[in-house]
Amino acid sequence: MTERQAYVVDLPEDESYSGSAKGEPGKSFERIWDAPQGVRHLSSVSHRVVGKRFLVTGFVFFLIAGFLALLVRTQLIVPDNTFLDSETYNQVFTMHGTIMMFLFAIPMLEGFAVHLIPLMVGARDLVFPRLGAFGYYCYLFGGIIVLSSFLFDAAPAGGWFMYVPLSTSTYTQDLSADFWLIGITFAEIASVTAAVEIIAAILCTRAPGMSLAKMPILMWYLLVTAFMIAVGFPPLIIGSILLEAERLLGLPFFEVALGGDPLLWQHLFWLFGHPEVYIIFLPAAGMVATMLPTFVGKPLFGYGFAVAAVVSMGFLSFGLWAHHMFATGLPVMSLTLFSAASTMVAIPTGVQIFCFLATLAEGRPRMSVPMLFILGFLFIFVLGGLTGVMVAAVPFNLQAHDSYFVVAHLHYVLIGGFVFPMFGALYYWMPQFTGRMMSETLGRWVFWLMFIGFNLAFFMMHLTGLRGMPRRIASYPEGLGWDRLNMLSTLGSYILAAGVLLFVFDFFRHRRHGTQAPRNPWGAATLEWLYPPIPPGFNFHAIPEIRSREPLWDQPELMDRPAPEIDGALRPCTDHRRETMGNDPITGAPLQIVRLPHPTWVPLITAFGLALGFGATLASLYWLVAVGFAIALAGFTAWVWEPSDSGVLRDSGLGDLRLPVNVVDPRSHLHFAVVGTMMISAALFASLLFAGLYLWNTQPHWAETTPPAAPLEAGLALGVSIVVFLLGLASHRAAFTAKVTPVIVIDLGLALGSAALGALLFMSIRTVDPYGSAYAAVGWALFAFVAGYLAVAIYWSLVNALRKAVGAVKPGQMLPNLLIATYAKVVAIMGGMTAAAYLLAGGAA
Amino acid sequence: MSGTSQSALGEFGVQSALAPEGAGATAINGLTIGMTIAFGVIFVLLVLFAWAVLAGRLAPRRWWIWAGGIALPLVSVLALVVVSTGILQKITREEPDALVIEVTGKQFWWDVLYDPEGWALRDANEIVIPKGRPVTFRLKSDNVIHSFWVPKLTGKMDMIPGRVNTLPVLATETGRFRGQCAEFCGLSHPKMAFEVVVLEPAEFDAWMQRNSGEARDAARSELLRGRDVFVEAGCPACHTIRGVADGGTLGPDLTRVGGRGSLGAGMWRMNQGTLAGWIADPSAMKPGAEMPSYNHLPGPDLRALSAYLASLK
Repeated sequence: MTERQAYVVDLPEDESYSGSAKGEPGKSFERIWDAPQGVRHLSSVSHRVVGKRFLVTGFVFFLIAGFLALLVRTQLIVPDNTFLDSETYNQVFTMHGTIMMFLFAIPMLEGFAVHLIPLMVGARDLVFPRLGAFGYYCYLFGGIIVLSSFLFDAAPAGGWFMYVPLSTSTYTQDLSADFWLIGITFAEIASVTAAVEIIAAILCTRAPGMSLAKMPILMWYLLVTAFMIAVGFPPLIIGSILLEAERLLGLPFFEVALGGDPLLWQHLFWLFGHPEVYIIFLPAAGMVATMLPTFVGKPLFGYGFAVAAVVSMGFLSFGLWAHHMFATGLPVMSLTLFSAASTMVAIPTGVQIFCFLATLAEGRPRMSVPMLFILGFLFIFVLGGLTGVMVAAVPFNLQAHDSYFVVAHLHYVLIGGFVFPMFGALYYWMPQFTGRMMSETLGRWVFWLMFIGFNLAFFMMHLTGLRGMPRRIASYPEGLGWDRLNMLSTLGSYILAAGVLLFVFDFFRHRRHGTQAPRNPWGAATLEWLYPPIPPGFNFHAIPEIRSREPLWDQPELMDRPAPEIDGALRPCTDHRRETMGNDPITGAPLQIVRLPHPTWVPLITAFGLALGFGATLASLYWLVAVGFAIALAGFTAWVWEPSDSGVLRDSGLGDLRLPVNVVDPRSHLHFAVVGTMMISAALFASLLFAGLYLWNTQPHWAETTPPAAPLEAGLALGVSIVVFLLGLASHRAAFTAKVTPVIVIDLGLALGSAALGALLFMSIRTVDPYGSAYAAVGWALFAFVAGYLAVAIYWSLVNALRKAVGAVKPGQMLPNLLIATYAKVVAIMGGMTAAAYLLAGGAA
Repeated sequence: MSGTSQSALGEFGVQSALAPEGAGATAINGLTIGMTIAFGVIFVLLVLFAWAVLAGRLAPRRWWIWAGGIALPLVSVLALVVVSTGILQKITREEPDALVIEVTGKQFWWDVLYDPEGWALRDANEIVIPKGRPVTFRLKSDNVIHSFWVPKLTGKMDMIPGRVNTLPVLATETGRFRGQCAEFCGLSHPKMAFEVVVLEPAEFDAWMQRNSGEARDAARSELLRGRDVFVEAGCPACHTIRGVADGGTLGPDLTRVGGRGSLGAGMWRMNQGTLAGWIADPSAMKPGAEMPSYNHLPGPDLRALSAYLASLK
């Protein structure tokens, strides 16, 4: 294919041109990668800084949510306790679940991913450092919004699942539900940006020679997790937006009297909520699969089995959501199918467990603290998996559902499947952060306290639940057979908490008194241990060629000399830019040099603008909302507006090989990012479409009585969407042409076509009253969604045209045209599908 | 606030799924015991296997993954799906001649309508059913989502606005079984319980006969005074006492309130004292209850009213 041939920019003869429009010529290689100090540290975009921030913030949220859990357990220690009143108790358990799921587990795994991916694949930074920093600030501000609800005495009290109608404005009149919806949706931006970043980083910035099959196993786990986040989070984001729109604007998405359906919320919530469990579990299992070989001293047994299991788990996890809804009155046929699908997860889980057991059998494992946590994980998680199969059996589920049995099950899965591996991982990778080892002696105490406390607290709950105790009750009467069991659970929770506190103590102790960690302190096989003990800011002086899945064990040249002397790619730093290697996603062969941004305030400012916008929405200060979003828009513009280095050929440091910077090629990391983004967008759109189809199916009466959209305009919109799609194809070709000016026509055409498409869709839907029925409201939501994407298309193509018009772009630098092509094609499809939906849906006028 | 002793409900019988007294709960309990034994054995075998591995007694083999990771789970879950589908069919089967009882979840109590197409007998918070005769609960809500759960009889079923779910029940023993709302429904979700009373079929028929008429007459002057207070204080705006005041549907039907085993939806023992406490300040006993406080009633009126209500059996 000739298209794949990247267009290469000739270097200007002028000696002053360094090959980079944004280099810092005065600085040495080391200085270029230094993290800025003082208050400017906040402008750092390095993955090491951002990853650490995710981990520390996530752990603080873990302690907060753990404290809330202790309040819950203290309230339940005796029957009829008056320690907390019902309202406070409801707030406490709601926030416990919310913080643990959204502000601890996901950010924590993002922290590990952000920190570890570049080090393990041989990159100097994460592929989109500014996006990582931006995501972190969104998470931080979103978390602060959610937590601040305590200050306004409006902490969410509707459960972490926010079921409607309880969370609609009829039954929750204060702002508590809005704090939840706005804060959590904002924090989720971090999750979806992390998904894009993880996908592009793992696929596009690996060391030379690291093919897919040579990737550390954790990369497979994280890659699958990232795809799951990309598809799994959108249903919740859409659900939250619909619910907030109902609360704020009165649109009747879930209003039974107007054809809405409370079960629609449950479907959207669990379409997210179930994959979420695997999103939390998989990275933890990946960390186990990474640590285990180190302590056994042998490679992971059954790497291929594990990869296949993880991939199939990713797919399976999307077919199970309704097992959270077995008691809602679904037809027996659906119950059976979802039940069977749910139990099938036992197979990929079993494969992984036996891979781990077989790895253990390869040698005598060293019983260090991380290893103890791994064994604890196996014990607890297998029990949780078995009770998981039990609750997947529908008849049993009808007794166990919403009882303490499920509380026991989910904590066995999540604490066993995430918290124990995470503590093991913290012990294991701590030398990377502090340069010191944590105490083995105290670590054993931490483990046993946590293990005994956990089992005491949660094993009892199986029995409490089967004895009929429902979840989420602030008090219970004496004499129902729950008293002693609850007392034991509470004592167990205190012991568990003591273990966590001891860990915190040891953390602060070891920073001062811990022994210095040597190079590769555990004798691991993976690349992140190449430098002693804290890797330098740039991770690698030169990026080594990788020939093995266990490079530190199999490639003696890596460990037999000081790390800075190891040979590899990109040792020369002629352009004084932060840069790393870009590779072919499959083979790992060198493809391009990826230019990376230097420290910048833009992510913080942009996230702050969004936080202002979201926060002001809560306070109903709409002028401030406008200010906030204006700041964010300015931030995004500054973000994208920078001189292009794309296509310039530079030395790779690998023999005579010269590689282009930011290559114009569908395998570009930027193109992968757009594909990832469009995958998320398609999942968002599909969630909305699902909402419409669901209502159509379950409330046919309302579908018939809702007036149709105007067919003529909808038909024209369908036609224009085809034109936009064709322009997308043209833009893709244009990215590879030698002439710049004619491409402006395509850019302007895209802007015009997008505007026309949006206008026609509006003309079509404008006769339908959005307040008339839930069905009509979803029609408007589809329009609003597509209109948002079209606005971005217009903005983006105009920026592209402008940059060409002012001469900022040369032939071979038209990567943006390749990117917008993919974007425009997907948006055209979404617009066309919306137009088709307008043509097909709706009853008699 | 009521004391601990008043909420000691042990004498009403527990609500344990492990002590089934209904056909559904018995079938599910069999499944529970079977799965617990099977998975317990699997777990112990896995622990022993891991023990042997850690002791270095076994060399890794690829067939472990095939046998333990694929074959074992596949066989066990297939067996489980077959068995549990059979039980599911059994416990969800509705008998065409079953007694229909419509239960509507409220915040935070239960409105009960026996045989809506026939007798249409309205009651609240205590459900009387015959032993050995199939009953179909028709479950609704006109507010938030609740879930109807009597663990000793069968599994739970949600009550969802805009939908009608059905739950077949066959009680196999007489007695008093506690049930509780199992879907978080707001402030006083923990105080939304109820009782099911299972009677011998003949007793049940007699009970239906006895209760389908008007409320018991007020026989003494204090009770007559109580009846007048009921009307004068405006109670009929929300409550019905058949033969005294009809039409109030916002609150529980009080025609036989004194005959119920408990007050406040399965929370406190029913007697004049708890009734008076409730009338004086419902939201102290049950936060978020919609009923306003009647602590402005003069002491004698409150006593008369509570005595009258307690006499309605």
